[in-house]
Amino acid sequence: MTRLRTAAALALAAPLALAACGGGDDGAVTLRYAFWDDPQRPALEAMIDAFNEDHPDIRIELEQTPWDEYWPGLDSQFAGESAPDVFWNHVSRFPAYASSGVLLPLTDRIEEDGLDASVYPEDLYASWQFEGDQYGLPKDWDSIAMVYRLDALEAAGIDPSELDGLEWNPDDGGTYVEFLQKLTVDADGDNALSPDFDPGNVVQYGTAMASSTGQTDWWNYAVQNGCDLQTEPWGDYAIDAPECVEAIEFTADLYNRWGVAVPAEVTNQPNGSLASEQVTAGAAATALDGSWTLGVYRDGLEPGTWAVADNPSGPAGSGTVINGLSNAVYAGTEHPDEAWEFVKFLGSEQAQAIAADLGSVWPGVADLNGRFADYWAGQGVDVSGFQTAAEGTTTGYPLSLDDAAFSTAALDEFNQVWLGDKDAQAAADAVVAIANE
Amino acid sequence: MADRRTDTAAPPVSARRRRRGGAATAYALLAPSLVGFVVFLVLPILAVLILSLFEWNFLTDPEFVGLRNYRDLAGDDRALQSIGNTFYYVLLNIPAQTVLALLLALALNSKIKGRNAFRVVYVLPWMAMPVALGVIWRWVFDPVNGGLNRFLGLFGVDGASWLNDTAWAMPVVASVNVWQYTGYTMLFFLAGLQAIPAQLYEAADVDGASRTHRFFAITLPLLRPAMLFVLVTSVIGSFQVFDTIHVMTAGGPAGSTATLNYQIYLESFTQRSAGYGSMLAVVLFAVIAAITLLQVLLFRKRTVYDFS
Repeated sequence: MTRLRTAAALALAAPLALAACGGGDDGAVTLRYAFWDDPQRPALEAMIDAFNEDHPDIRIELEQTPWDEYWPGLDSQFAGESAPDVFWNHVSRFPAYASSGVLLPLTDRIEEDGLDASVYPEDLYASWQFEGDQYGLPKDWDSIAMVYRLDALEAAGIDPSELDGLEWNPDDGGTYVEFLQKLTVDADGDNALSPDFDPGNVVQYGTAMASSTGQTDWWNYAVQNGCDLQTEPWGDYAIDAPECVEAIEFTADLYNRWGVAVPAEVTNQPNGSLASEQVTAGAAATALDGSWTLGVYRDGLEPGTWAVADNPSGPAGSGTVINGLSNAVYAGTEHPDEAWEFVKFLGSEQAQAIAADLGSVWPGVADLNGRFADYWAGQGVDVSGFQTAAEGTTTGYPLSLDDAAFSTAALDEFNQVWLGDKDAQAAADAVVAIANE
Repeated sequence: MADRRTDTAAPPVSARRRRRGGAATAYALLAPSLVGFVVFLVLPILAVLILSLFEWNFLTDPEFVGLRNYRDLAGDDRALQSIGNTFYYVLLNIPAQTVLALLLALALNSKIKGRNAFRVVYVLPWMAMPVALGVIWRWVFDPVNGGLNRFLGLFGVDGASWLNDTAWAMPVVASVNVWQYTGYTMLFFLAGLQAIPAQLYEAADVDGASRTHRFFAITLPLLRPAMLFVLVTSVIGSFQVFDTIHVMTAGGPAGSTATLNYQIYLESFTQRSAGYGSMLAVVLFAVIAAITLLQVLLFRKRTVYDFS
């Protein structure tokens, strides 16, 4: 059967192979390093420069592909046996990859080199283990917190201290919805609480939500409402449970009942605008957004005009979903030793300090969290909201051997709910039916 | 006027023998393009045919499942919807595009001022990158900040959500493709129009035929070869639409713009069911082959005129 797979892959990849012919070789080894988040490119380049000081003979070629195209591309490159030597891995795809043998096990190399894994938080390190083997070193961790524009709060007469202890509930929306209503302003300057408010002519919404996965839109409210996305890690999806459906309804309410979110017509993924784009453009005042997007806010807004606060609390607390990425090595790489050298470096305190000092992402090496926070403090932004978010009722990213069925169905169904075209329960039922098939 | 079939009679034996002498040279000259044909077309097609009998997620070994993928199609609402979507798209696209292209060709075939400039302008959309155009059109149709709804707003009209509306999304995508390919289609009609001998119109003038009568009695029948070519190629292209949809709607909302070709992509690469996607590709191939055959038969029945 392996021969058959190779034949199928070769036949499909023949045009690619022909296209890839050519290119010189001067003795140096070239490694391909694939990633999806373009804003992190400067940090990656800085780390590669540092790596090349000790390894001038290993050249690193960056290959960036946006999230939605990244995974299909990677899969077909695995099939064509021409995948990048080193690549960013995500927990949603990790189980499928680890179980099908496309990842190089790193356990023996870690032991041989006496790598100290205790520099990483234990959970973060263990999330890249499968059946007793380690398949990657933590690159970073991330969580969700509230990013907001100070000028929008000031114009609405809201003191930032009021952000502590914002609460929402599915019935009357609570102080959180009231807060967002004050920030939803029409062209005449009337906010959503005013009787003169014109919902058809809004110039600034209270919040913006956009997510291909749910991570930066309804999952926040789900966790805050006591919803378990899965029965257990690797278990069935359970988003048709009452607490989950309530949270999905609350998310839809922000769009359609309260009208305080940038309309789903604008932000529905995969083709819509991102929350960070809406906030930096002034079309939204806040966003519950990922720590990896901080650079977008820094580059899009004037220093001192924005800040980070804790997530609001729902009936079950103020948690969110935390996650992390790893750098993985392709099992079929022609240069496993060099690839390991590079991954080892990317996982080192030296490399992650570079990314932390650039404010790129929260580092996988626990001791460096302060360096990341220091960078942002220097920019006038207190990012401790992300650390608070990583505690308490927060859960890890849902794990499944077939994440694709869930995420595709969820995006398709919930996009309709956000548009007000579908009932939350019906959508949740449909997603569960497809994902647990 | 001669029937085209008469000149396909077998050449004399001596002529056939003479041709065989040059065969080696001919094959040698053909070889480079044959290699491309085999590598880029024949092998992938065979692979897809075979893969349609397998279940394959790209990562593990393919598993032979016989005709199961084909049987599963009957219960796959999304795939069946995508077949319906495809025909809907073709119906929105082809008649509008063909009629518009013909009208433009007729207009630009007359002696109007600056017609060369017009010809270039109408072909420009076809020369631009479909993906770049898709991005621009997506902005135009953006329901909140888009150019179209802002324009409509000037007249107090509330625009629709266009690409986020299940009823509007497909017509919008189809109209963008009509806009993009009309100029290109027009080129073939123009060439066809210029091949019609002027003496036919002069004779019709002498007989006192009206403009309408001349169009239906001379222009349209004599455009038949151009029409066949245009319809066959544009219908095939229309069944295979991908880039505009990928950029503008990604098949949404609620699968309303997922044509069969887009469903193949979603199944194969997003859902990682390469076998199932290959099955859909075989189905698409069969549909296109059947429709093309139908078109050719429909046009072949009639006589083709030859003025040479």
